[in-house]
Amino acid sequence: MELAVTKLTKRFQDITAVDQVSCRMTAGVYGLLGVNGAGKTTLMRMLCTLLRPTGGTITWEGEDIFAMDGRYRKILGYLPQDFGYYPDFSICDYLMYVASIKGLRPVTAKKRTGQLLELVGLSGMEKKKMKKLSGGMKRRVGIAQAMLNDPKILILDEPTAGLDPNERIRFRNLISELAEERLILLSTHIVSDVAYIASEILLMRSGRICASGTTDELIAAMPERVWSMTVEKDQTEHFMKNYKTVNIKAARDGVELRLLSGQRPTPDSREEAATLEDLFLCYFGEKAGEEDA
Amino acid sequence: MLKFELKKVFSRPGSAIAMGILAVVIGVTCWFATDVYYVDPNGVKQRGPSAVAALREEQKAWAGELDSEKLRQVILANKEIKSSPEYQSEDENEREIAYSRGQGFKDIRDLLNHAFAAGFCDYDYYCADRLSGDMASQFYGRRVSLLKEWLEGEAKEQYTDKEKAFFISRYEKIKTPFYYDYMTGWTRLFDYAPTVVMITLLILGYLVSGIFSGEFSWKSDAVFFTSFHGRKRATAAKTGAGLCLVTGIYLVTMLIYTAIVLLYLGADGWACPIQILFSGWKSFYNISVWQEYLLILAGGYIGCLFTSFLCMWVSAKTRSAVIAVMIPFVLIFIPSFLENIPAPFVGKILGLLPDQLLQMGNVLGYFNIYSLGGTLMDAAPILLTVYAVLAVLLVPWTYRIYRHMEIG
Repeated sequence: MELAVTKLTKRFQDITAVDQVSCRMTAGVYGLLGVNGAGKTTLMRMLCTLLRPTGGTITWEGEDIFAMDGRYRKILGYLPQDFGYYPDFSICDYLMYVASIKGLRPVTAKKRTGQLLELVGLSGMEKKKMKKLSGGMKRRVGIAQAMLNDPKILILDEPTAGLDPNERIRFRNLISELAEERLILLSTHIVSDVAYIASEILLMRSGRICASGTTDELIAAMPERVWSMTVEKDQTEHFMKNYKTVNIKAARDGVELRLLSGQRPTPDSREEAATLEDLFLCYFGEKAGEEDA
Repeated sequence: MLKFELKKVFSRPGSAIAMGILAVVIGVTCWFATDVYYVDPNGVKQRGPSAVAALREEQKAWAGELDSEKLRQVILANKEIKSSPEYQSEDENEREIAYSRGQGFKDIRDLLNHAFAAGFCDYDYYCADRLSGDMASQFYGRRVSLLKEWLEGEAKEQYTDKEKAFFISRYEKIKTPFYYDYMTGWTRLFDYAPTVVMITLLILGYLVSGIFSGEFSWKSDAVFFTSFHGRKRATAAKTGAGLCLVTGIYLVTMLIYTAIVLLYLGADGWACPIQILFSGWKSFYNISVWQEYLLILAGGYIGCLFTSFLCMWVSAKTRSAVIAVMIPFVLIFIPSFLENIPAPFVGKILGLLPDQLLQMGNVLGYFNIYSLGGTLMDAAPILLTVYAVLAVLLVPWTYRIYRHMEIG
């Protein structure tokens, strides 16, 4: 089981959305981390055969996925960032339709729909119309449709965007349950999503994979270290201007700062263990953030 | 897949409204088409099934071959009515009594007005009143001679000699005497058929325009195109859904309309030549009434099929239902603007535009003829063939566009 991406490039007129990306993925959960506009969605759309690359190749088990055509899509499950649906279809109708276009026989489709609704916690709601579902429920239907054909490759583009913290935890657990014996590629700009479930992380910036590895490997290879310190309130601006600041917290005797620096910023600053969030800031700088957290 | 594609179409709230509008328009059209009156011997206008039965009985009395003797009888009967005191009277009721006596041969009287008018393009309502019985024998000869006069006069520059000879030969080839029968059912059916076909087309245009673009407006395109059948059978199912919609809705609508009108007014006269009809007198198509009905039905179907497939093509190409839904309007109304261009070729072009398929009854009355490889052909078979072929060609083209769609 290997999905290989070699020198993959996608240009839209003068914009290069994906630039010479190469990576190999086998069974496991891969987190594709990057700020908005980093090229994650374009990369995923090419991996799903929705977009043809300008250059480079994508192969599954050594065979070009575009040449495989239907055979590749048969083993693919995809949950897009903007998950669209037919508003007046019931959940059951929607899943049965997707099952039919995924090539499942009606009997198998019915059985699989029942199993997946149970898995995503929507059993008993089959007749509910799609347009009446909450954001979290829609996402759960989204993952169910992606899983209908029991795919070997599951691609999830920002699956937790717009979900509340409870729904997000539930979703992460669900993905972990599904991870066995398949390749899951999860794109997000929310660090905590991948921190818990991804076995390998790909950091994407300006259309390129700028770093990859396990969380520990990436943290170990971080070019900067993490420091915490307490400073006077009027010094805060100086530190924010000169260092990548992970966190600012008001304290009784000043302001507590957590920042990144190759050198100890002040004699009394303490070195801290780095987290994935620190890593994210290290690579993506001011653009990084967990606005949805 | 096909079932779900149809479900997608009908699950849109607008579709239910569109189907409701179609039902109302068909209902209203049927009401107008079946609104026939009969004037009883007392001069009282009657409507309803009994009026239809009475009118049918009166006209049936004149059924049979329209030979010189029958035409002479009509001319004389008409003269008798015109000279009656009731007809001469100023009293409206008295005049209605006079009218009631001529209802049985009213259609034949119209044919006399056509045949004995001053010119080919003229119609003189009072012409029959001036005829004498012995003029009846000139009836069929007048039809041909008026055509010849027109071709050598007013239409001299419009047609080549070969085309003129073609028209005259068609006129001369028709079997005479014509067989006449009560045919109000067919007359009314043909009168309102273009309205029914056009409304059906507009509704179909609305319904099919979202079949391909819907995936984009619902943002379900990514899931659709990443599925196993997304770029093959599921795309084909969309075309299949379009075909089912056009075939189902068009045929059901036309059959309901036909059944209501003919069951109410009667289907007598189906084997008569179309020249018996008021609108068919000048036609150079030597066909019978049931054949005209089949042409109208086939023309409407091919017109709806072509236009709907064109809507689907535009919808797939532009990913927009809004642009696609305008196609039927453009195809129906553009010819009205082109009519005003004073160029000789415009008429020829207009005769081959797809809107003609929606009004095949009118096409049969036009003198449109085309030369294909030296062979002259009338417009009707060209229209049916060309647009059927174009409709068929649009299917793989649309499939190809949609199948290779990129989702950025």
